Amino acid sequence: MKTFSRNPGASVLHSLLSHARLAAIAGASLAAASGMAQEVPEDGVYKDRIDWGILMDLSGPTSASQAPWVKGFQDYMRKINEAGGINGRKVNVLAEDNRFNAATDKIAYEKLVSQTPVIAISGMGSSASQVALAPTIKAGKVPIVGTYTPTKALSEPVSPMVYNGFCGYKQMAQAGIGFYVDQLKLKAPKVMTVSIETAGGKEYHDFVAEAVAKYGGTATSVTMKVTAVDVTPQVQEIMAQKPDFITIYGVNNTAVLTMKALAQFGVKMPAFGITYLGSPAVYQALGAQGSADYNFISCFTPGGSDQSVGNREMSAAADKFGRVGLKEDINYVSGWVTGQMAAESLAKLGNSPTRAKLVESMAKGFTVDSKGLAAPFSYTPDNHNGPTVLKMFGYDHATSKFKHFGDYGDYAKYTK
Amino acid sequence: MLAQVLFSGLALGSIYGLVALGFAVVFKATEVFNFAQGMFVVCGAYLAITGISLLNLPFPLAMLFMVLAAALLGVLIHMFLIQPVAGQPMLVVIMLTIALSIVLRAAIEIIFGSQGRTLNTPLPSGVFKIGELRISQLHLTAALVSWGCMAVFGTFFRFTSVGLLMRATADGHEAAVVSGVNVNMMNRLAWAIGVVLAAVGGLFLGQLQIASTELETIGLLALPAVVIGGMQSIPGAIVGGLLVGLIEQLAASYISPKSSDIVIYALLLLILMVRPWGLFGQRELGRV
Repeated sequence: MKTFSRNPGASVLHSLLSHARLAAIAGASLAAASGMAQEVPEDGVYKDRIDWGILMDLSGPTSASQAPWVKGFQDYMRKINEAGGINGRKVNVLAEDNRFNAATDKIAYEKLVSQTPVIAISGMGSSASQVALAPTIKAGKVPIVGTYTPTKALSEPVSPMVYNGFCGYKQMAQAGIGFYVDQLKLKAPKVMTVSIETAGGKEYHDFVAEAVAKYGGTATSVTMKVTAVDVTPQVQEIMAQKPDFITIYGVNNTAVLTMKALAQFGVKMPAFGITYLGSPAVYQALGAQGSADYNFISCFTPGGSDQSVGNREMSAAADKFGRVGLKEDINYVSGWVTGQMAAESLAKLGNSPTRAKLVESMAKGFTVDSKGLAAPFSYTPDNHNGPTVLKMFGYDHATSKFKHFGDYGDYAKYTK
Repeated sequence: MLAQVLFSGLALGSIYGLVALGFAVVFKATEVFNFAQGMFVVCGAYLAITGISLLNLPFPLAMLFMVLAAALLGVLIHMFLIQPVAGQPMLVVIMLTIALSIVLRAAIEIIFGSQGRTLNTPLPSGVFKIGELRISQLHLTAALVSWGCMAVFGTFFRFTSVGLLMRATADGHEAAVVSGVNVNMMNRLAWAIGVVLAAVGGLFLGQLQIASTELETIGLLALPAVVIGGMQSIPGAIVGGLLVGLIEQLAASYISPKSSDIVIYALLLLILMVRPWGLFGQRELGRV
């Protein structure tokens, strides 16, 4: 049935008025929204998103450990975005693949600074790149929030442009050496560093030597190529030096080759790897027998290895995003925690984030509490070390789970 | 220590020799300087993973799968990429193999992820002792299989009619065509053999290390091996591979791991300057 208005003119007027009212409200909302969501494209800030950069090795020799880190970071941001983003904006992660090459890193860094600008950068997984880019970064305007590898060149002296996001080599050396000296009840320990030939490897060995010297011991080192296939010469050197235990710096392959070759030569040698080598892939490649003497020192707790709130949250998200196999990887956990650090830093900036505001805000200091994935760590104006409390982890092949050697608190004495 | 280092150098060199032999077969047959040979090594490792871990085939069947798949890959590459650019300048073909290598790497990373994978095979992984010398059973197996493959293909080229036709094609395309030889078929066979040899190398390198696209770097050590041995020479590729393996281990033992690259490529430069046709290659003479 058709209905007719008794006064068509009044109806049209009413309709026009109501459209005008709606338009006015929409216009006011838009104006308000645009006032709230200020765009600063040169800083990677747009109305609906903020671009955040990552510089990591996604397809080069260290991608086995760095790619999971990137996935951890991306997954944390995905979780944040699914919950509505940060102050109404989604975080768009721009991950650049440096292929573990300082020259590529330099190009990618410049790209993230000016061509596809980002508000900040995380990762920087190549120590050689950090050494090369340190002066540029410190003099620049883009903060590095959560480095994947800590180098003296970038971290010292403390700069408002750089915040370490990974366990420091110094603390890894101190906690690892301290733990083994106590466990093996050593006096004047003889320790050997097995490392790949990188700036970070040299730096790590220096920290090992420093830590060993505190116990009146001596430290020597042997190096290998990152793409080594056979480490017979290195193991021969270990056999000649006869250290009490060894510590391994490098990529997954470094640990696998070293432990396999030690087994081949019938050498039973306690060994601990740096945090990056806390990957299930290492233990699976070594098997139960080959990894019986191998542990790793870490400031991050592998996913699924305890029931802390943070661990349960991360594990649930990893399962949801199809990263079931990755959540146990310490690198994934580290990426996740760095994602949290980045998101919390952005949240403090309100509705008009910029690079300058981010730098200013972080310089005042802040704390990252990952609810159990790492011991809470704080940044102060004078200390940007990041996570400094570590503990030793091993792997139980029977249950296919990581095992913990004590609590984080037990190790604080080594890194004080 | 020297004996130990020599053994590991020879074992490693045998694998390099195997990959280099594949390179030499392709170069001899089709004159393609194949920069994708290193990536074929990676393909071999991942084909083995596919057969063993993903398809759950028994080990012998998984190896058969790897060999057949690698051969098919070689044939397809020749059919769809190499044959269409036949007669083009060498630079075109070189660029094609570089592009192929990049595409293969990306495809593998998309399919398997960029993380390395553990290649678990029932190959022996223990050790036995001869005096002070500790011999890794895996190294020994790798060396024996490599030498076995070299012997099989050496016999094939020398004593079978197909091998004879392949050598005839390699020595003179036009003469072979005139004689009624199916040149494309021979070239496809050469590519299939080249990829299979690299794949077998990849199987061992993937087990010695972790299977990842980074095996390409190791596979590419076949390039200095063939240049040192002689690009056109089958025995030269094998000897070149052994030399590279020995130099790598000796330099790592007595100088430093990084120095092995310097020594290998210094030898390569020396050979290029003094004897550019390689230790076992033949100088090409032209009539004027």
